[in-house]
Order: sequence, then C-alpha cells, then structure tokens
Amino acid sequence: MPKVRRSRKPPPEGWELIEPTLEELDQKMREAETESHEGKRKVESLWPIFRIHHQRSRYIYDLFYRRKAISRELYDYCLKEKIADQNLIAKWRKQGYENLCCLRCIQARDTNFGTNCVCRVPKSKLEEGKIVECVHCGCRGCSG
Amino acid sequence: MAMSKSTNTYNRQNWEDSDFPILCQTCLGDNPYVRMMRDRYGKECKICTRPFTVFRWCPGARMRFKKTEVCQTCAKLKNVCQTCLLDLEYGLPTQVRDSALSLTDDMPKSEVNKEFYIQNMEKQMAASSDGSTAAGALGKTKTHSEMLLRLARTTPYYKRNRPHICSFWVKGECKRGEECPYRHEKPTDPDDPLADQNIKDRYYGVNDPVADKLLKRAAAMPRLEPPEDKSITTLYVGNLGDRIGEKELRDHFYQYGELRSVNVVAKQQYAFVQFTTRTAAELAAERTFNKLIIQGRRLNIKWGRSQARQGALGGGAGEEAEGEDAAPPALEPVPGLPTLPPPPEELHNNFFNLPSTAASIPLPPGQAPPTTGAPIIRPPMPPGQAPPRPPVPPPGGLPIAPPPLGSAMGPRPPGVPPAPPGHLPPLQPPPFFPPHLRAPLRPPPGVRPPAYFPQPPPIPGVGPPPPLTHGIIHYPSQDPTQMGANPDKK
Repeated sequence: MPKVRRSRKPPPEGWELIEPTLEELDQKMREAETESHEGKRKVESLWPIFRIHHQRSRYIYDLFYRRKAISRELYDYCLKEKIADQNLIAKWRKQGYENLCCLRCIQARDTNFGTNCVCRVPKSKLEEGKIVECVHCGCRGCSG
Repeated sequence: MAMSKSTNTYNRQNWEDSDFPILCQTCLGDNPYVRMMRDRYGKECKICTRPFTVFRWCPGARMRFKKTEVCQTCAKLKNVCQTCLLDLEYGLPTQVRDSALSLTDDMPKSEVNKEFYIQNMEKQMAASSDGSTAAGALGKTKTHSEMLLRLARTTPYYKRNRPHICSFWVKGECKRGEECPYRHEKPTDPDDPLADQNIKDRYYGVNDPVADKLLKRAAAMPRLEPPEDKSITTLYVGNLGDRIGEKELRDHFYQYGELRSVNVVAKQQYAFVQFTTRTAAELAAERTFNKLIIQGRRLNIKWGRSQARQGALGGGAGEEAEGEDAAPPALEPVPGLPTLPPPPEELHNNFFNLPSTAASIPLPPGQAPPTTGAPIIRPPMPPGQAPPRPPVPPPGGLPIAPPPLGSAMGPRPPGVPPAPPGHLPPLQPPPFFPPHLRAPLRPPPGVRPPAYFPQPPPIPGVGPPPPLTHGIIHYPSQDPTQMGANPDKK
C-alpha cells in the first residue's frame, strides 16, 4: 500500500466499507517491517512481508471476483493505488495458479535449472512426507 | 601472462575448465537423471589451491547437495573421487590403497614445489594418457591386492550422502522442526578418532583415522596359516553340496600343482585334496581360501591336520568300533612298501637272545601274553628270502592272518622287527599261537575305522601286489614318511 495517496479524487463508493480491513492489514505490514531479524535466517526475514502482501491482494480479489461485493470503480481504484497487486491477481485468474503465493515463486529465470519453486509442486507429486517451506516466501505449497 | 602472484590472472592458463567431474558412484548418487550445476573457477582446489571448475549436484532424495572439492589434476594424480577423495576403483582411502599396494607417492607439499610438480605431472598426463587411467605412482604399479578387494564395498554407500547433523538441534535450539533439512540425530562421540578428519591428510594418505580403522580390520580378517608340520599337503574342502564331486575338485585344484589324491566324503559333503608337494598345497590354500566358488557354492577351505594326530584319533575310534576285536590297526600298511628300517639295536638283541620274546613284543591291549600256553617255535629262515619283509597286508581285502607263504606253519622272517617305536604298530600277534589264542582276522582295509582325515587310498594303478613280491614297486608317494604318516616327524 502506498504511503501517500496520489489521487486527488475522493475514493469511489464503498471505500468506507473496506477501509478498516485495509487499515488493519496496513498496520500488520508496518509491524512486520519493523520487526527485528534477530534469530531469523536470512531468507526468513522477508517472509511476513510476502504473506501480508498476498493477504491484502487476496482480500480485494475476493471482494471483486468471488463475492462481487465491490464495484468496478473501487476495484480499479485499489489497483491504481497499489493496494492490491495487479500482476498477482492476473495470475490468480489463470487456471492452476488460483492459490499462487507470490510472483517470485513462478519466476523460473531466477533458478538454477529454469524451474519453478518447490511450493509449486503438487503435494501428490512430492515424495511421501516431505515438508517444504520455500525460501522465497515461506510458502508450504500453493498448488493443490 | 601476469607474473605477479597477487594479480587476479596469475598463471591463469593453468586454471582448470572441465565439462564433467571425476566422481565415484556413491557421490554421484542413484539418480540417473542427476542435474549438475557448473561453476567455472568457482573455488580453489583444497590441495593445490588453484581455481577449478566446481560441480554441485544433489545425489538423490533426502541427500545433501555435494560439490567437488579438489581439482581434476589432483584427483587424477591419486586416482580419487573429486568429492570424497576415496579411491575410484576400490572406494577406499588413499592410505589404505597405498599401503596395500605398497605405493609411495612423494608429492611435494610446499607451495612452489607443489606448483612445479603439478605442472610437470599435467604435461606428462596430457602427453601420455587419455585421462581414463590413473596418473602418478598408482598408474605405474601393476600389482593387485587381495586385501583391497576384501575391504572394498561392493555396492555404493549412499548413507554417506545424508545431510549433516543439525548443529542447532544438538544445542537444543533448532526452531525449524520438521522442515529442518538437517538431520536431527545424536552426533557421534567427539572423542572418536573418526570425528577428526582432515582433507589434506586424507588426500596425501597420512594420519587418516578411517584408514587406520580399515587397516586394523584388514589385520583382523581370517587368514589361513599353513601348519607348521611341513608334511601336511592336504586341504580340507567343505560345503561341497551334492553336485560337486571329485571331478570338479580335480578340475579346479589341478592348476595349483599335481594332486596325489582327492577324497570326497559325500555324506558329510566335504573332501580332502592332497597335493604331492607342499608348495602346491600352500599355493592352493592361499588362492582358494574364502574365495573359491564352484557351481555357485562358496567352498570352505582349511588345512588338513597332521597325520600323527589323525593316527591317534583313528586308533581310538578303532578300538571303540571293534570292541573286543583287540587288534586295532592304527595305520594301514601301504602296499609295495620298501623294507622297514632295522630295529633298534637293543631290541634286536633282545629279540634274538631272550628265550621268550613275548615280553619284548608289545602286544595290543587285551591280548594275553603267550607266556605259558604256547611254545614259540621259531623256524629257520628260508634261504631264498634275502631281505626280511614285514607281513604286508594286501589292501584288496584279503585277510592276512594265514601267513602268506602258503604253509600253515609259515615262517616268520626273523628279521621282522617288533615294530620300531613310533612306527607301524604291531599289527598282529606272532602267527604261531594256537588258533584259540590267535587274534581274530584283521578287518580288511576297507572297513578301517573312519578317521577324520583321510589316508591316501591304495593307488589304483598299483593294485594289490602279490604277496611274495618283496618291496620291488616303490613310489615315493607310497613312502609313509613322505605322506605324513610318521608321527615322529612332528
């Protein structure tokens, strides 16, 4: 969520309905940002940021596409104000990516063998009893 | 080329750039589709400190990632895996291999000498080999070692690729729980010498605790010591099974030397293979012990026991078996035997001078000494019999109680010794007793009491000699002193 509102226009209809939830998520994000890295692994420190970012985008996505509770204008406004991640929502609308944890986990160019993250592997395809926790966002499996 | 050692590109043409690592089966893992990461000049070799191409891969599920640790030149010089530094052929530490093959590889360890040495060896390798053979001292040696084959693993040891033990868990601080990729196990004892290993020592083959352990194990391995009694040329072959017969044994053991006999005891499934020479027997024992496999059965090879012990054993068994049959022949006389050596002097005199020989002739136990009932008639020696000869039983099963000369009162040659001590025991009482005092008929040799170790059977080619031929046929193989039958030669 941006720190400053760039738009002079007042928010569209229904903003006051979603604002408290967004404020709460914003508060959580600030806490996660200021949290100490003591005792954490290097990769672990960013995991809460990714999780709250996912949560916030998911809230807007659910309201508009699943529950159809907000108007198109409010949805566009949230995307434009970067309250929700447009690219992540674009992936969620594709088949097979409905629960995608973050965009880093499908960035195949960043891996040694040009593969997706281990959290993208379906549980049935993994070996028995293997517990994964991906290094990018701490996801424990976002593919079925 | 840059000449200053501090520059980045110093001696850069010596840097290794390779396409494939030199690895052992264990380090490579069981996945045939293993993916590897290659990092050119990624690390310095832990032996020669030159940059080399590092490979990194996962050797299988639940294994840790492995990477190459030494450069390929160093690996080729010792014929070791680039990762585990174990020998590529046997999978054993270099110290074990070098001591087994008695190799001495004097690789310089100081910096400049090492650089020069490796440069020369690289040139040599580029000129001579195609890279598939070992360089260094190992490449020159042609010896093979049984010990290495015994010690080497036959299958890859994938446990070596497991993750390391979680150091946080050991301290009780691991917060990752189930997700922790490291092993949550009790670490090995830090006082264990195996816990203190060092990659350079392992490479050069000095002070390697693993090698010490393996060498100790090699020293403790079962070995077949040739017996001290040099007359033993017999090998015991056990675990024969039903299908392995004399022919198979002969076919195999003939390669080590001439066989005197092969006795197969089919019921107990063992056999005795007797060689004509001791050296052949020793060779056979060395080559076959613990590794002779005929028709899929691993045969059990031991040395035969000495004939002296066997004689005592056979005699004792004979008495039990024959019961009141009071003449247990401990040894069966060999047909075609040469004349016996003359008896000791005092016995000889005694034999002639004393009126009653019964006291001096040791009788078998249970035989009443013929002092009273039977007068001893001593007929004169026939003039035609020049060499006195002991009454030799024909081995074909003919009883010899009737004297072989045909007449019922057949002359006993006076030169017959009353059995020199330690040699052939008295086989029968003097044949001049009245019939009720005579010893019962000697059992034919075929029903000899079973002895644990065999005596040589009658040579089939010779057959039962006619009783009157006096020691003409004589083979060295029939000499009891050569067959280990003489209990004096212990």
